[in-house]
Amino acid sequence: MNTPTLASANMSFFQKIIFGDHAASEAGAWTDGLFMMITWFSIVCFVILMTLMVYWVIKYRRRPGVAAQPSPNHNLHLEILWTVVPSASMLVMFVLGFKGYAMKMVSPDSAMELKVDAWKWAWKVTYPNGASSPEVSFLSYSDNMAQLESGETDTYIKSTGLEYPVFYVPENTSIKLRMHSQDVIHSFWIPEFRTKMDVIPNRYTGFGFHTPKLRSSDTYLDSASMTQAPGRDMWIFCAEYCGDEHSRMAATLRIVPQDVFDAKIKDWGTPKDPIELGKSLYNTMCKICHSIDGSPLIGPTWASGNGFGFGYEAALADGSSAMRDDNYMRESILDPNTKVVAGFTPSMPSFQAQLSETDINGLIEYMKSLSDRNSDGSKNDKNNQQADDTAGSDG
Amino acid sequence: MQTTLDADTTPAPAHIANHPTHWRNRGFAAHWRTRDDDFDASKFGMWLFLTTEVLLFAGIFCAYAVFRMLYPEAWANGSHHLDWRFGALNTVVLLISSWTAASAVRCAQLNKQKWLKINLIITLICAAAFLFIKFKFEYIPKLSEGKGPGAFFTYAFAEDPYEVLWWSLYYMGTGLHALHVVIGASLLGWVLYRSWKYQAYGPSEYLMVENSALYWHLVDLVWIFLFPLLYLIH
Amino acid sequence: MTTNDHAHHEGESYFDGPPGILAKVWQWMSTVDHKKIGVMYLVAVLFMFFLGGVSALAVRFELLDPVRTVETLNEAGELVQHTTGQRLAPLIDIMSAQNANEVYNRIFTLHGALMVFMFIIPSIPASLGNFFLPIMLGAKDVAFPRLNLLSWYIYVIGCLFGVLSILMGGVDTGWTFYTPYSTTTDADHWRVILMILAAFILGFSSILTGMNFVVTVHKLRAPGMGWFDMPLFIWGIYATAVIQVLATPVVGITLLLLIFERVMHIGIFDPSMGGDPVLYQHFFWFYSHPVVYVMILPGMAIISEVISVHSRKHIFGYRAIAFSSLGIAGVSFLVWGHHIFTAMGELAAVLFSGLTFLVAIPTAIKVFNWIATLYKGSIAINTPMLYALVFLFTFSIGGLTGLPLATLATDIHLHDTYYVVAHFHYTMMGGTVMAFMAGLHHWWPKMFGKMYNEKTAMLGCIIVFLGFNLTFFTQFFLGTQGMPRRYANYVDEFQTLHIISTYGSWLLLLGFLIHLGTFIASLVAGEKAPANPWGGLTLEWETESPPIEHNFHHEPVVTHGPYDFETTVPPHWDPKDFPLPENPSSH
Repeated sequence: MNTPTLASANMSFFQKIIFGDHAASEAGAWTDGLFMMITWFSIVCFVILMTLMVYWVIKYRRRPGVAAQPSPNHNLHLEILWTVVPSASMLVMFVLGFKGYAMKMVSPDSAMELKVDAWKWAWKVTYPNGASSPEVSFLSYSDNMAQLESGETDTYIKSTGLEYPVFYVPENTSIKLRMHSQDVIHSFWIPEFRTKMDVIPNRYTGFGFHTPKLRSSDTYLDSASMTQAPGRDMWIFCAEYCGDEHSRMAATLRIVPQDVFDAKIKDWGTPKDPIELGKSLYNTMCKICHSIDGSPLIGPTWASGNGFGFGYEAALADGSSAMRDDNYMRESILDPNTKVVAGFTPSMPSFQAQLSETDINGLIEYMKSLSDRNSDGSKNDKNNQQADDTAGSDG
Repeated sequence: MQTTLDADTTPAPAHIANHPTHWRNRGFAAHWRTRDDDFDASKFGMWLFLTTEVLLFAGIFCAYAVFRMLYPEAWANGSHHLDWRFGALNTVVLLISSWTAASAVRCAQLNKQKWLKINLIITLICAAAFLFIKFKFEYIPKLSEGKGPGAFFTYAFAEDPYEVLWWSLYYMGTGLHALHVVIGASLLGWVLYRSWKYQAYGPSEYLMVENSALYWHLVDLVWIFLFPLLYLIH
Repeated sequence: MTTNDHAHHEGESYFDGPPGILAKVWQWMSTVDHKKIGVMYLVAVLFMFFLGGVSALAVRFELLDPVRTVETLNEAGELVQHTTGQRLAPLIDIMSAQNANEVYNRIFTLHGALMVFMFIIPSIPASLGNFFLPIMLGAKDVAFPRLNLLSWYIYVIGCLFGVLSILMGGVDTGWTFYTPYSTTTDADHWRVILMILAAFILGFSSILTGMNFVVTVHKLRAPGMGWFDMPLFIWGIYATAVIQVLATPVVGITLLLLIFERVMHIGIFDPSMGGDPVLYQHFFWFYSHPVVYVMILPGMAIISEVISVHSRKHIFGYRAIAFSSLGIAGVSFLVWGHHIFTAMGELAAVLFSGLTFLVAIPTAIKVFNWIATLYKGSIAINTPMLYALVFLFTFSIGGLTGLPLATLATDIHLHDTYYVVAHFHYTMMGGTVMAFMAGLHHWWPKMFGKMYNEKTAMLGCIIVFLGFNLTFFTQFFLGTQGMPRRYANYVDEFQTLHIISTYGSWLLLLGFLIHLGTFIASLVAGEKAPANPWGGLTLEWETESPPIEHNFHHEPVVTHGPYDFETTVPPHWDPKDFPLPENPSSH
């Protein structure tokens, strides 16, 4: 199952219920230690205070006719003590906090730099060779295949969240991120590294991490071969409110052996069949707002029929109409809010900064492959496999 | 607070002198022990309010400082477009008006009713002059050249892409200030009206004059800071 | 000290007024009596609390399960797909929203804006503060009674602007209105502008109330009452008022700039024009951090009163508590950056982290002082005291969980997660609301002249305590495990904790409904309250319950300190019922 796992062997009880898993990096584990230290300090203080409170409330509860016993209402030694001890403790926390922070912000010069782009509502990572990942995976997945096979049930139920991009990184490598947002403020958070940093539109931000060596228990489900392969998946979440799909702006960070990583990014860097390129771009960048089965999401569906899809006239919000041809599609990608389809809001960002001409061409070819019409609106006779597979309605 | 030095003791006409709003006839709020307490408390309250006004404008000055640090060329360019002479003239106008406002307070303390009104009128004339100079010789020409705030900045010859930010802060700062000029002038106008109709202010009852004058001094003070930052620094 | 030898004349309390409904309504609408204004504020803030609570229940309801696409293969072999978990979807049409997520986003924004601006900031100062500040000082009213009425009306207008925005569908910017999202979301400008204006207008109300209280404390103390003879409630309200006066104008200009950014694109927060969206955050938090101390200082002020009265003990460390209130007010202006650690440079982050620890110290000292006050006391277990103990429990957790948030290394992980949500609910609700409940129950007999049913009030307290912890304690774990804030949807692993939290919220609702019923029953049919049911020594206990229009029959003369329980029999008490220790301590 290709879901990031929380379970891990040999973990203390507190580590498990507080963090779920060990931190994936040394800096992260150090942070966990600091957190536990502060938490234990807090628990000890809290228990002392509450014990005193409850004990005294019971011991000195009001008895009719009995006066409160006299007691002084200040005590210089005590007051100095309970000022100095907390202050000193906090000084320690402050200094250690700074140290742990520096560990996570600073990367060695040799760290591999990944460029992270954010927009409403997806992430994209670009590798040093200019490639980016076309792979996607579910973050939440469950099925009752085992019960079905054992005969406990006779209906198959599969329950999933959405599919999100998968970003591969090699194990035991220092990585630094250079991040930028196309629109509003987002935040790139990898919980297992215990680090996040806001991604803002007017300058680059970033942080660094060192990926762990893979443990023998670390595997993920490789969707190509449908077998378990060595690797470790972890969550990436957007952690700065950015609108409707803020809670669905996620990704998977997949740590794999160096050779697997090298092969992947080489493969992604090589030119591909345009329709395949378009499809992978769709999966990683467009899917969250555009469906290919006819259902309306934030944006219009790409499935053809019922007035939508390549080669169909678009009814626009201002009452006019436009043919969805190559130029319309290109304009929709580069300057999306000039023509807004009726019934939708102008919320699409421009992808001018992120898509090359090859990318745009691939997307348009993919859209064409979903449709049964040509760019002038005439019916397309060619055998359109993808349109049959994915379109939910006929034209 | 009360003084008899140079007090003008000419009695007011009967229909004014007997009116409950005449300064000799006014009491003070029942929850105060003495008139002095009422006066001191109200002055204190006014100073607190002025502090909030200072903090309000502080935000604009802070934004100005941040962007001046980021975009020094845009800032230099922006202030070149302003004519320092109009700014200086407005500064002089406001300084005169502050002087007459303070004089008005002194007149109320000394029961010089005629001069109280004259000083208030001059203050109001200065306020009107300030706004007139601002609108006629600064805002309107600038706006017609396309030098407006934010989305209204259509000036085609801006040398720096960030000059629009300077203009936005210029309009926000001077606009907010102009609003306060109007508010201050309204307060002083109200004081003038009550002086004229009721002789409401005198040696034992000049708080409203003082507080309005204090507000006016604040309005002046804000301008004293805006003027060099916007007009003089290059 | 006056005794109860002045017969209560019929028709003398501040509640009694001219006969006839219209005359009574006009009397309340035009009143400058601080007591009536305090009661009007009380009703309003409690109403806002319930509205905010309803929106919270909706938020928690949505979070019962994550959004899933379920595919089942039916007997005919067809794949059938449906989406589960979008529980707020039925509201999409009513709110003219695009989808269930937008509904959720608008509702959590509503929860925040309502609770922060319309409930918690005015809550204690405007209601209990207004009512008791003058009386505790021995005055007839606040310094500027008409300004007080103006504050009230400005508050009403601000709330109306907010309600109008909500009725138009509400906004989805979050109560913090971060740019660029707040300046670019939602094609309909008006809803956003109305909500921002609501906050702006409410700020004026806050400033004027603050000014009023500062001058009142300086100028209207009774003869014989020096600064260090004042009850600690006054010190807390005073420190709060100072923050209100100094900090609120900054949010005023921030919101004004935000409106012009949205409407006129002035550009200072717009990255495409060279502006800086993080500058907005700095401006916003420069106010909003001090304002959390506006929220908690009055609560702390109440706790000082309740604990000492119900333990019959002089508060421990009077000056420490008084100075720490001022200290908290001062340092609160220096720490705003700890809300923005993940969007600032390293040097700034280090500075703000250090300063943030500074403000924790006076807070901790207060907690120690309160607990020390219990020592050798004569402690009554009643609803006000129980709420004060609950406060000590929940506020301590809130304060202690602030430590990992001040610590840079851990904050980088916990920022914008449910850990922060739990932390601020433990401080704001576990702190201010619990203290507010303590104060309400403590002063209810004085304000309304009626006692309430102690048993049902205690039951309410216990249920609120259980519900509160069930709702929010789980959220610490959600945060550390990886659940971000403001998420309508989440990964499966978090569902159990979310379900527990939602069940807790229903228990909270039950607890507050019990309190509502108790208070209504008290007003309708409660036993008549004596002038001094608890044996307090501060000046409000010398007046009748409820007080007369001018508070006191004669100007009070202060002859004992507010906490001299070892040497003074409280007003209206028979010495037989209030035994004094034989050898009182010398100080």
